[in-house]
Amino acid sequence: MDLLLLGFERLLHVDIILLLVAGVIAGIIIGSLPGLTSTMGVALFLPVTFGMDPVNGLLLLIGIYFGSIYGGSIAAILLNTPGTPASAATAMDGYPMTQKGEAGKALGIAVIASGMGGIVSVLMLTFISPQLARVALNFSAPEMFALALFGLSIISSISGKSVLKGLIAGVVGLIIATIGMDPMTSFPRFTFDQLSLLNGVSFIPVMIGLFAVSEALLGLEEQLRGSKKINKVIASYVLPKWHEVKRLISSMLRSSFIGTFIGIIPGAGADIAAYVAYNETKRFSKKEEKESFGNGNPKGVASAEAANNGVTGGAMVPLLTLGIPGDAVAAVLLGALVVQGIQPGPQLFTTSSDLVYTLFAGMFLATLLMMLFGFLGIRLFTKILKVKKNILIPIILVLSVIGAYAISNNFFDVYVMLVSGIIGYFMKKHGFPASPVVLALILGPMAESEFRRSLVMSEGAYSIFFTRPIAAVLIILATLSLVVPIMFKKRKTIEQLN
Amino acid sequence: MSMNLIRFTLVMSLVLVLGACSNSASSGSAGDDEQASDFPTQSLELIVPYAAGGGTDSLARSFADKAEENLGESIAVVNREGGGGAVGMQNGMNAKADGHTVTMVTVELLTLPHSGLAQFSYEDLQPIALLNEDPAAITVKADAPWDTLEDFVEEMKSGDKLKVGNSGTGAIWHLAAAALEQEVGGELNHVPFEGAAPAVNALLGGHVDAVSVSPAEVKSQVESGELKVLGVMADNRVDSLPEVPTLKESGIDLSIGTWRGLAVPADTPENAVNTLQESFKETAQTEEFKDTLTKLGIGYRYENAEGFSELLKEQDELFEELIPSLNLNQ
Repeated sequence: MDLLLLGFERLLHVDIILLLVAGVIAGIIIGSLPGLTSTMGVALFLPVTFGMDPVNGLLLLIGIYFGSIYGGSIAAILLNTPGTPASAATAMDGYPMTQKGEAGKALGIAVIASGMGGIVSVLMLTFISPQLARVALNFSAPEMFALALFGLSIISSISGKSVLKGLIAGVVGLIIATIGMDPMTSFPRFTFDQLSLLNGVSFIPVMIGLFAVSEALLGLEEQLRGSKKINKVIASYVLPKWHEVKRLISSMLRSSFIGTFIGIIPGAGADIAAYVAYNETKRFSKKEEKESFGNGNPKGVASAEAANNGVTGGAMVPLLTLGIPGDAVAAVLLGALVVQGIQPGPQLFTTSSDLVYTLFAGMFLATLLMMLFGFLGIRLFTKILKVKKNILIPIILVLSVIGAYAISNNFFDVYVMLVSGIIGYFMKKHGFPASPVVLALILGPMAESEFRRSLVMSEGAYSIFFTRPIAAVLIILATLSLVVPIMFKKRKTIEQLN
Repeated sequence: MSMNLIRFTLVMSLVLVLGACSNSASSGSAGDDEQASDFPTQSLELIVPYAAGGGTDSLARSFADKAEENLGESIAVVNREGGGGAVGMQNGMNAKADGHTVTMVTVELLTLPHSGLAQFSYEDLQPIALLNEDPAAITVKADAPWDTLEDFVEEMKSGDKLKVGNSGTGAIWHLAAAALEQEVGGELNHVPFEGAAPAVNALLGGHVDAVSVSPAEVKSQVESGELKVLGVMADNRVDSLPEVPTLKESGIDLSIGTWRGLAVPADTPENAVNTLQESFKETAQTEEFKDTLTKLGIGYRYENAEGFSELLKEQDELFEELIPSLNLNQ
């Protein structure tokens, strides 16, 4: 605790505070633009930090990381176009809230939940990270497969009105996920000799297409039809009231822990965490409330945002304690540490404890700053809803093209994005949800490669999935969450028939 | 309040943009004494075939930063990822052959075509400078029963299939372990991961018995006493692990690893090639650049165009024989 207080003391320099402020604001802007992800934002600023003092440089990057994860929710809530994959789950209830005229409330809840997720995860990082890291090490291929399977079982609960259509969308996502090099043998599958397809269809252009472009196309159609339905969406600036927030606290806490834990596991990131937390919140809510998920339930926004910000601190656990990056952003941060001559790993806490605790203190401050600018910005952000559609739609389309291209400076991704946009348009017209496709694209490759890696490790014995307790429990949970709702439904219909 | 906020945001973003530019803005002035050639006439582009923030990217960016001053033109680093590096390298080969587009090439330039994953050849490029080389390091847990490479090889031959993690089938660290297998006549169970970091993680968790990755990728865990390196597949011992023997010292004639260097399209005019070679040589040999590599934890090896060409030819023969013998695409 003393070390942490000392850390805060070391933060009290104008330049450090200014860098954190700059990082958080830059992060919020980067995050809110579709296609500019947290990883890109942090990587973009990495060279700038080379000439800085280690603490200053790292805090700038951490500010960008924390800011961008929150920033992604702004576009998700206001325009139904998640700024980063982490906020794809936020859009599910955030955008319906905007449609109901509750944009200010949704953004306010997102800020509070993001802050809570950030603080919970930084607390856990500060006080129990060595223990948590040991837990993460127990996760091997079978456990990761079980986690991916568990994640895929969520599709049934995020499908919206028709579970069947959701499952169809999910299967299509899984099929797309098989394109590219075989994860175990590197054999090219369905690549048609296209170099750009060797690594598979990049998932971010697909996401931009399915969410942003399809939404823009729908708006375009409205414009062309000359529908008099002008923006019903009232740009209200009504913050959530205390009693509304109070109802969300338990969901936010649970989601923060889920987010932190998923962040610790190498290979699973903020996007997965948000969906898992969303699903758990839905599972824990009352039966009559379940219907309102997907139609603007504040709990949906709160849990997704608490979880994806929870990942931020969680991802730092294996990075700082083991020297192993838990996700793509952490990998860039590892590069930043190494360039500064800091070798993360078990020794870091003893050899440079002052640096470590200054970083922790900086993360607290970054979270608080993110909340501050988040709140201050709500009025500004909601103004975007007053922009006329004929101006907004071209801007969204231009940003989508830039975002898709910027992922890897490859024009192929722009085509992927445009095709996904057209497909997404027809999906929306016919009531197929986009989230299952995105979830399947994230989890499909993970499930496949971990499944086969497990079998390589066990030399072909399937028992590896059932003899390891964590894997077995997760697989049972996944099966239950698929089967139980169906059984309940059956019993209900039988009762009704009687 | 909201006006103030807007103003504040604007000022801060301006500061950030200026900060980002100041790195590259300070070039432009030198170059008066290079009148002999009409190269370079404009700013250069350096294609990196991997993601921003990774090892190859850090190397490219720190090199470009220093090479700009020497060359008198700014160098823009562009990441073109995809296809395990194939997309970026193919891009570099197809670029206008005037010397203004330089590509960071890696060992995948040779391994991808032999694995049937790319149609190009290393002869489509004119090498300029080799900057780095890292051998494979056979690494096990510190409390593993093997203390020397001999112990490990003994176990390999005993028929018990050891699980060795690598960074992906056909990737250089898999090839290294497979080459060891062939060389000593033992058998391993190769477990591919998505990159070296998850493989090291699995080793720490005790899910695999060993990994074959670069010394930099296990450095911090070795220093903290969680892992130990039994041997490196290099001709000479590496600077970062001076007490670890090479495989040659144990009588196994195997030297395999990754390397990174710079190249331009094959039919680039000679004067441009010469200018680049001279300029890059000077940059690569500065203490400042060597220090950066030490900080990044990656090994330094400079070769000029000629030496780099020889290395490419030599290694191409090695992989031409090794990769088909592994039957990767079954």
